[in-house]
Amino acid sequence: MLFLALLVSMGLALSIIESFIPVPFIIPGAKLGLSNIVILITLVLFGFKEALIVGILKSIAFVLSTGSVSSLIYSLLGSVFSCLIMYFVYKYFSNIFSLIGVSIFGAVAHNVSQVAVASLIMNNFKVFSYLPPLLPVSLLTGYFVGLSSIYINKNLEKNFKKIGINRD
Amino acid sequence: MFLLTKGDKYLIIIIIIISLISIIYVERDATSYNSKYISIQVNGKEYKKITFNPKMVGKTIPIKTKYGYNLIEIGDEKVRVIEADCPDKLDVKQGYISKPGETIVCLPNRLIIEIKGENGENEIDYLSY
Repeated sequence: MLFLALLVSMGLALSIIESFIPVPFIIPGAKLGLSNIVILITLVLFGFKEALIVGILKSIAFVLSTGSVSSLIYSLLGSVFSCLIMYFVYKYFSNIFSLIGVSIFGAVAHNVSQVAVASLIMNNFKVFSYLPPLLPVSLLTGYFVGLSSIYINKNLEKNFKKIGINRD
Repeated sequence: MFLLTKGDKYLIIIIIIISLISIIYVERDATSYNSKYISIQVNGKEYKKITFNPKMVGKTIPIKTKYGYNLIEIGDEKVRVIEADCPDKLDVKQGYISKPGETIVCLPNRLIIEIKGENGENEIDYLSY
């Protein structure tokens, strides 16, 4: 339980730091999604419910700390949807895809759901034209997030006993 | 390229292919035939409305009103003014317009030639979060 709070705060810190990095892509709102590292780790180490909780809490905490409420619905629904997809891919397909593949799925799902929410809010189907340039971006960020998650996961698995976390 | 399984590599290739296909589709959709038409307005009132049509390439249409005379030529998805009796001939110098929203204006003749989209706003002008 305590560790979950730690994970939420780590995700929050990552989100705030990555909001300082200017992204040189033409797409507004494209972000590196570094906080997905935390969500992916939670998913692998703890499970779906915990990953969902961490994702939702992180989104709410991010809105509280930066005060941009308009991004709440995008990031909330994006996290939930990408959590769902990552869980399915991880549970049933982890022999085909490594964590990198899972995280790419999650990044793509996140971006697709964000664009879908945007097109619903603006009642304009053409918002989907933002999706084709977003997809390779989500590939790149998903790859990076997945790679980091693999290393962190290996390390954490080794040191679980040492840190003294009991997995309930 | 470390730590990628075979499935990962296939996934990446599939996503790249999907994004390329959808970029091509979006480009085609943005320049499609049936969503543009020429609206010719004289003195603020719509004088003529011409839908783009492959058969109209090369056709010239004279616009003779009490304000003056202009001759427009319709090209492939575009239109321009080739003759005008105004002193500056700025509309002739402008050349072709082809995208919705673009206009050719001849002020002495009170003429506006505008390309419009069928259903109003096709393109998003600006998106901010």
